[in-house]
Amino acid sequence: MGGAYKSLNGSEKADPASANGPARKQKSRVLIVPSRGITYRHRHLMNDLFAMMPHGKRDVKWDNKGKLYGTTRPQAPAGLHGRILGTDIGLTELCELAEMSNCNNLIYFEARKGQDLYMWLSRVPNGPTVKFHCQNMHTMEELHFVGNALKGSRPVLSFDAAFDKEPYLRVIKQLFLQTFGVPEGARKSKPFIDHVMAFSIADGKIWIRVYQINETEAKAQTEDGETEKSSSKNRTKETDINLLEIGPRITLTTIVLEGSFGGPIIYENKEFISPNQVRSDLRRQQAGKHNARSEQFVERLAKKGDLGLRTHGGKKMPTDALDSRELFA
Amino acid sequence: MVTKSRLKMALAHEKGVDFKKLHQKKVAKQASKKKQSKTGGAAKDGEAEEWEDEEEETKGGAPIDDEDDEDDSEDDDEEGHDVAAYLDDSASSDSEVEMEEKIARVRQPKQSELKQKANNKKAVAAVEEDEDDDDEEDPEEDIALEDLEDLSDAEKEDLVPHQRLTINNTTALEMALKRISLATDKSVPFKSHMTLSSVEPTADNIPDVMDDLKRELAFYGQALETVKQARSLLKAENVPFSRPKDYFAEMVKDDGQMEKVKARLIEEASAKKASAEARKLRDLKKFGKQVQVNKLQERQKAKKETLDKIKTLKRKRAENSGDLGTHEADLFDVGIEEELGKPDKKRGADRSGDRPNNKRMKKDQKYGFGGKKRHSKSGDAMSSGDLSGFSQKAMKQGTKGKPPKTARLGKSRRNAGKR
Repeated sequence: MGGAYKSLNGSEKADPASANGPARKQKSRVLIVPSRGITYRHRHLMNDLFAMMPHGKRDVKWDNKGKLYGTTRPQAPAGLHGRILGTDIGLTELCELAEMSNCNNLIYFEARKGQDLYMWLSRVPNGPTVKFHCQNMHTMEELHFVGNALKGSRPVLSFDAAFDKEPYLRVIKQLFLQTFGVPEGARKSKPFIDHVMAFSIADGKIWIRVYQINETEAKAQTEDGETEKSSSKNRTKETDINLLEIGPRITLTTIVLEGSFGGPIIYENKEFISPNQVRSDLRRQQAGKHNARSEQFVERLAKKGDLGLRTHGGKKMPTDALDSRELFA
Repeated sequence: MVTKSRLKMALAHEKGVDFKKLHQKKVAKQASKKKQSKTGGAAKDGEAEEWEDEEEETKGGAPIDDEDDEDDSEDDDEEGHDVAAYLDDSASSDSEVEMEEKIARVRQPKQSELKQKANNKKAVAAVEEDEDDDDEEDPEEDIALEDLEDLSDAEKEDLVPHQRLTINNTTALEMALKRISLATDKSVPFKSHMTLSSVEPTADNIPDVMDDLKRELAFYGQALETVKQARSLLKAENVPFSRPKDYFAEMVKDDGQMEKVKARLIEEASAKKASAEARKLRDLKKFGKQVQVNKLQERQKAKKETLDKIKTLKRKRAENSGDLGTHEADLFDVGIEEELGKPDKKRGADRSGDRPNNKRMKKDQKYGFGGKKRHSKSGDAMSSGDLSGFSQKAMKQGTKGKPPKTARLGKSRRNAGKR
């Protein structure tokens, strides 16, 4: 098996060196940090992503709760930095952590309330940082897809054309490219290209899918024996491609984008509604139903009282002269 | 380019320790300076000047100068950071920001300073950023910028009731993009980034996001389109693309997981097959019953016909019975056989199914048949074997499906009726 690869790779190996000198390699590493309190599904999702990133490095759960980054920090002068992104999670410290482990990219999975997952993508030395809300998470294991890929092979990154439309999406595209794209010649990367990572935009959200590239022999072959021969000759070229999904699946909603650490927010998604808001609205809706009903009950009692139909309280009916109680008293 | 970076590396290796110390010294100096002149904006100005000075130096193109802020982090981990790589192609602005950031980080204990610093940095780097923010004054100085932030904060508070504040600072976004972007155009080999964009936005192919099938199909289409392009590009660059069948290495999903997937597939397939078979059997059964009924009817019909024929024959015999020869019985037999076209053997069986004669029937009617009438309606092997009236569906549904004819009243109302 090694021989096969060598024979494929051997001629090619000498090429780039001679062509454009010692090829400058894009060196990039990604630190993947979960927060304290992620659920098993979040963790599995993270591990799935990590499995496809040979240039990634996992760190232990980041405990931002005991450390109180936000409060120990002296308050900024009045009005200054009303909102510095990431102070509550200790982003600066996370950044240092990344730097200590030689990583220039950071993915931070922040779990809130044991149910909401936020993903922070950051370029380490000086931003930008983007915060996503993760929804529709499905891990590889849950999905039972038949696709599979080499661990550490470099993915083709497929972006929606919409990514080139808006500046903030272009920044996000670059961040995706640099975090999820495996740099050429990364240490643990494997030679062949057998999967594709697709980033699409629909409904204002970013949808991530991972597919295996499955090459099958072309079906459209003519009948002659001669053509069969030729087909066997250039089999490498004449293959159909189809894709098999591998998993995981995530949908990301952009929340904010920050230019640099501790810097101003340069993009904020107006359409994002926090899951807390959604939940509380739901609860309120439910409570509203009950409140309306109980109000109705009280109203009815009052009405009855006004009509003198209640034994206790309310108005008394004026006694009629023809009332049987009057007549036969 | 390359030689420059090499030189830088070499220098970094040589001077790494020195620079660190120098750096720290510098930082300490600055801190003390700052403390001294903390009262006014003078400190800031001084600082800014300093930074500008340094920036100028770096911009001046002395490779060693912009090295000194690099090697802080990079003396021990060249492989980790691609900052050096970016430094090569991206402009000196990268190094600027980096330098500022680095220092800010070193001086972290002084948090307030850090913030001022950050602000300074913004003032320097993001003067343009804020220009296109719709309703702001021109941020010329640091203080102005702060004021501006103040303003925007107040605005925020004002705006919240009406609408979420939209921040979309295009210039800043462009700057950030310029700072971090890797080249993905034609100038670099495709294999270095392996990134492709689809021709048209995927959202166009999704009429309804909630429609899972169409949506996933659109995503698939996008991926497939780009993969096809990518393959041709990679093949052109002589990159090994397809994995040979005999290349075994660790996969993303391990064997256990794949085994599970396979087992699931098999289970699904077998369940489908089993259900199809069951349906076929059911249909056959239904059809078989029909066949059985038809057969019974046919048999009955045939029986009736034969009986009729026998009757007519008998009548004929009775008409010309006057001159009967010695072979009367034989002739009778032959006649029947001719009429029926049936072999002799069957006659016995047929007769057993015959009705008894009329006299007997009359008597049976009058006096009863003699046999027992008890249990005549109880089930026997035939009746209990007859499943024509049975339906599995009805059994499983139970009585839940149809509502009771007369609803049973609640307990209180029933009891009220009694009293």
